[in-house]
Amino acid sequence: MNLVRSELLKIRTTSTWWLLGIGAFLATALAFAINAWLAHQVLSGNAEDFGVSGEQASAAGQAANLYTSGQYLGLLFVMLIGILMVTNEFFHQTATTTFLTTPRRTSVILSKLGAASLLGFGFWLATTVIDLVAGTIFLTVDGHGTQLSEWPVHRALLLNLLAYAIWTILGVGIGTLIPNQLGAVITAAVLYLVGTQVVQLLFFLLSNWLDSQAVVKWQVVWPAVASQVMISGSSTELTPDWWVGALVLVGYALVSGVFGVLITRRRDIS
Amino acid sequence: MSDGQRSPSAGTGQIVVSGLTKQYKNVRAVDDLSFTVEPGRVTGFLGPNGAGKTTTLRMLLNLVTPTAGTATIGGRRYADLTDPLRSVGAVLEASSAHKGRTGRNHLRVICAAAGLPASRADEALALVGLTPAANRKFKGYSLGMKQRLGIAAAMLGDPQVLILDEPANGLDPEGIRWMRGFLKGFATEGRTVLVSSHLLSEMQLLADDVVIIAAGKLVRQGPVEQVIGSMAHGVRVRVRTPQAAELTAALREQAATVDTDGHGALLVSGMDAPTVGRTALAAKVELHELTTERPDLEGVFLELTAGKAEIR
Ligand SMILES: Nc1ncnc2c1ncn2[C@@H]1O[C@H](COP(=O)(O)OP(=O)(O)OP(=O)(O)O)[C@@H](O)[C@H]1O
Ligand SMILES: [Mg+2]
Repeated sequence: MNLVRSELLKIRTTSTWWLLGIGAFLATALAFAINAWLAHQVLSGNAEDFGVSGEQASAAGQAANLYTSGQYLGLLFVMLIGILMVTNEFFHQTATTTFLTTPRRTSVILSKLGAASLLGFGFWLATTVIDLVAGTIFLTVDGHGTQLSEWPVHRALLLNLLAYAIWTILGVGIGTLIPNQLGAVITAAVLYLVGTQVVQLLFFLLSNWLDSQAVVKWQVVWPAVASQVMISGSSTELTPDWWVGALVLVGYALVSGVFGVLITRRRDIS
Repeated sequence: MSDGQRSPSAGTGQIVVSGLTKQYKNVRAVDDLSFTVEPGRVTGFLGPNGAGKTTTLRMLLNLVTPTAGTATIGGRRYADLTDPLRSVGAVLEASSAHKGRTGRNHLRVICAAAGLPASRADEALALVGLTPAANRKFKGYSLGMKQRLGIAAAMLGDPQVLILDEPANGLDPEGIRWMRGFLKGFATEGRTVLVSSHLLSEMQLLADDVVIIAAGKLVRQGPVEQVIGSMAHGVRVRVRTPQAAELTAALREQAATVDTDGHGALLVSGMDAPTVGRTALAAKVELHELTTERPDLEGVFLELTAGKAEIR
């Protein structure tokens, strides 16, 4: 517990966290404005113009989208915090002090995971509260009711929480595997941002070549795709069920965490 | 030794390094090194650049994994200490703080992790005279201030053992004198001090014992006077005279050993300065210089590490 407290203090005593916090807030505000506009258009009969159909076109579907505004960049920010919690130790050469204070390195990494999870939860809570307050006002004013008793809304909020937790932990894992600050940040950004389109294209080509539709579903092995599959909560002919995405992400988090701990235990600090 | 038996150094702050070896890809940084460091004394850890001092200290502190051998503090490996900060304080080169964090917050983070009260941070800052800069960010610290912050961090747990890697680095004369007094006082209380340094005149003032290594191997260990005394020559008297031949003859008659230093002066051993002066007077020889030369740590160090001091 002392160690988690110390890790949280490390974050509180630098400017990183509030810079990322402001970034996440701005991202949430911007995303909310766009999603609110989209919801207004879709729910006033223009759904086809925006290519929105099925559950997505319902008031509940739009409410779910609105209540998770800012998720896309928010997840990136919590992952960055997770990464920085580890790579900062090497970048600023504080690893010596940290491991002198706590020679049991596994405990150090676990406490970083603990602190990172708390932060991820904090980010989720803050953005969700903002989205709920602004979202209920907007939906009521726009005449659709709050939709707060709908299952798709609950599901979206919970999956959003799960996503925050997993990506924060994944960030810590990436940091332990790639202690170089720049290297870790770039790798993570590639995994999260650039990945999706490229991977979709790759798997599309692959499925054409193999002449099999089912192959496309395998794009879920890519973290960013897995994340989207999980968050969407429903499957299409191109994507598997949400829990497959969740399992893939948890798998990545576990593997990176375990290897990160093993590598950190053996690493020479000099 | 059976499991139940306590090792002789248990509970005390004795440091035992035994067969310690570190093989890096291209260099054997530390090579089968063994020595002990006793509590209640200041031990200087000396060696040329690249001798393996830092690597040894980092292995002792569980930061670098040895290829072979063990290092214990009070009979236990550093990784096995229940309360490391209360047992051992360490100041290492390249130990640093987050550039954007204040000195006080840096120490508070350590206190939190070690379960020490946050008030220890302010006490330690006051101890090293850093209170006025406590709330400034680390990136604005001077070299000496960074070094002082490192010492403050080592003192947070009021440890039994202090391990310092070139702590005088960047300290001003006042700071160096403060540290000399501080480390001596620390050892006088029965605690252990192991300090590496290149400042041999400073070491001669500070250290009770020395451990000298070169090329990763032990060269000499022992009390400072004993190590200095073990060298070929003891106290010598340097004499300059225009009548070198006459004086040499007169001195040899008195059973003194006389050499030249190659620069026109005579080096007399086996006789003290007053006797040399009296002998010269009796022989009616004119003197231009008469000084006693004691061997010092620097001379002994250079002699002991001669030929082993190249960077590897
Ligand atoms: N991480 C590393 N990888 C490879 N070689 C290393 C590493 N660390 C140290 N060495 C090598 O090990 C040898 C001993 O280095 P070390 O830093 O222990 O010397 P030192 O006695 O502290 O020297 P100095 O007086 O210059 O501080 C050197 O040859 C150095 O190049
Ligand atoms: Mg060194």
